[in-house]
Amino acid sequence: MSAVDGLSTRRVGMTGRVVLHVSPRAVVVGAVTLALLVVLGILTLTMGKLGIPPGGLWTAISGHADGKEKFVFEELRGPRLSVAVGAGAALGVSGLLFQSGTRNPLASPDVVGMTAGAGAGAVVASLWIPLLPLGIGAFAGAAVAAALVYLSTGSGFAVPSRIILAGVGVSAMATAFIQYVVMVKDQDESLSLAGYLAGTLSARTWGQAQFVGLACLVLLPCALALGPRLRLMELGDAMADSLGARAGRTRSLAILIAVALCAAAVSAAGPIAFVALTAPQIARRLVGGPHGAVVVSALTGAVVLVAADLWVQQAGWLGDLPVGILTAAFGGVYLGVLLVKEWKKGSA
Amino acid sequence: MNRLAARGLTLSYGNRVVCRDLTLDLPDGAVTAVIGPNGCGKSTLLKALGRVLTPTSGQVLLDGRPAASYKTKEAARVVAMLPQTPVVPEQITVRDLVGRGRFPYHSLLRQWSPDDDEAVQSAMERAGVADLATRPVAELSGGQRQRVWLAMVVAQRTPVLLLDEPTTYLDVAHQYEVLDLCRDLRDLGITVVAVLHDLNQAARYADHLVVMNSGDVIAQGAPGDVLSADLVQEVFELASTVIPDPETGTPMVVPRARATARSVSGRSDAPSAATPAASPSTR
Ligand SMILES: Nc1ncnc2c1ncn2[C@@H]1O[C@H](COP(=O)(O)OP(=O)(O)OP(=O)(O)O)[C@@H](O)[C@H]1O
Ligand SMILES: [Mg+2]
Repeated sequence: MSAVDGLSTRRVGMTGRVVLHVSPRAVVVGAVTLALLVVLGILTLTMGKLGIPPGGLWTAISGHADGKEKFVFEELRGPRLSVAVGAGAALGVSGLLFQSGTRNPLASPDVVGMTAGAGAGAVVASLWIPLLPLGIGAFAGAAVAAALVYLSTGSGFAVPSRIILAGVGVSAMATAFIQYVVMVKDQDESLSLAGYLAGTLSARTWGQAQFVGLACLVLLPCALALGPRLRLMELGDAMADSLGARAGRTRSLAILIAVALCAAAVSAAGPIAFVALTAPQIARRLVGGPHGAVVVSALTGAVVLVAADLWVQQAGWLGDLPVGILTAAFGGVYLGVLLVKEWKKGSA
Repeated sequence: MNRLAARGLTLSYGNRVVCRDLTLDLPDGAVTAVIGPNGCGKSTLLKALGRVLTPTSGQVLLDGRPAASYKTKEAARVVAMLPQTPVVPEQITVRDLVGRGRFPYHSLLRQWSPDDDEAVQSAMERAGVADLATRPVAELSGGQRQRVWLAMVVAQRTPVLLLDEPTTYLDVAHQYEVLDLCRDLRDLGITVVAVLHDLNQAARYADHLVVMNSGDVIAQGAPGDVLSADLVQEVFELASTVIPDPETGTPMVVPRARATARSVSGRSDAPSAATPAASPSTR
């Protein structure tokens, strides 16, 4: 025992010092993405016919503007931008938690059927239980989809490849359900739902912004706290367990937080596709290591969604298309590239 | 009282029982080698000792206290384990991977300290991977990777170290390097338990030999007392002669040449002259 004590004396002598371990690269990447987000935010508020002139921006944000600028900030672009930032961050972290928790780079709430489930929940809520807020319906739908996946794999969330297969099935079921409802319901209701179901950021309210903001405020710190354990999950369950990270519990917690974040984003902005899959992928490539992944995924998710939304808002020929259609188009291409890469790696 | 002991362990995967009522004391500050044929439950036992597999019944004792009563990080400061098949994450450098071994010493507020750097550096030096520190693990050879994993568990700085086939993937020189490393760690007072497949290496390096067959410990003790031709026949179904190792005097298992072993006649011209120096491997 004595020799081992000798090994650890230095450690004991230095306790009490608080040192966070963050790589310089992660800090730089975080600062750059944050700056990019701020620039995109300013562009969102100032560009276009209705844009607030840059000179009057601060007055509008601090609540001293009136007339058109007050209206644009408080009713149109302000809530829209806030929801975009919150939902983007929530989706980015949700995807990261999924990918690390299941050790599968292709896992994300979309792939395992949670976004479609949330959409189905929202449909049920808005058409049949009018008293139930859309957000609660979406949340319940996401939770039911996650539960179905959990049950139908036969091994919980333990075997990544089964999660994906079960998710594809659940996703197809939820999508079929949504299409059925949209078919049988009358046109007006269906039309307004169609926009929501594609994932849209137009006509958002401060209430929605607050909801997704609150979810981020509560859940992102949880994700951050789980970060070190998640990093050990990458080494395999046995290694994580033996290092004291309790793999099973960590995976369940990660997926629980991911479900909640995804549901919050979906309830505020509809089932926006692929941000959750791509943002953590981009973030991890940018930070190039295990540290800072949560923060950078949140920032990347926000940047991706705000940028996509700015594009659909300002590109006249897109005619204020629901932003989810744009992210789906780009995300689909990205997923294809990823699959080809994985496939090449497998056959090499 | 031993640092590490098992009491009446029953270990199973679902309904499949691998070990029944297994009791074992691992000697402190010694190298224990666990040997036995494929599928006999060596990894299963190690997983239970390393708190990766929860026993169906029975207990693992750490310093006389049930391992289940420890907080997980607290236990991870006592026992470190290298599993047989760890997963290599993408995009991680050697130094980062070795640094993961410091997790049991961290908390929300205390995530990294200069001691961690020191522990990581000295573990990398011990395992001979210090010069690979900045390389991505995914780009290393199997043998280099294995030594990086060893560095990781060494960085965990536990008084007990469990290694499941630490010599896999290593060329013969590196195999002996790893075994020497086990000895060096033992000399620091660390209890090392390693699953080994090479009987002669086990006999040479182990202070204590544990022989398993179909889930049971069927013999244990000093290699010189335990390893015999009868035992090798019984456990591995391999006919052999056991002679003293010319270097160390520990038992050396020399498999019988095929023709003699099976008493097959008429094939005397077959390439039956097994080189006596070759180690019998059960892989
Ligand atoms: N995850 C698992 N699920 C179900 N059965 C398992 C699992 N892991 C091992 N087993 C079974 O338990 C038995 C013991 O396996 P174990 O891995 O402990 O063997 P081992 O002695 O380490 O073999 P090897 O020398 O091949 O590594 C085997 O019959 C194996 O099939
Ligand atoms: Mg094994």
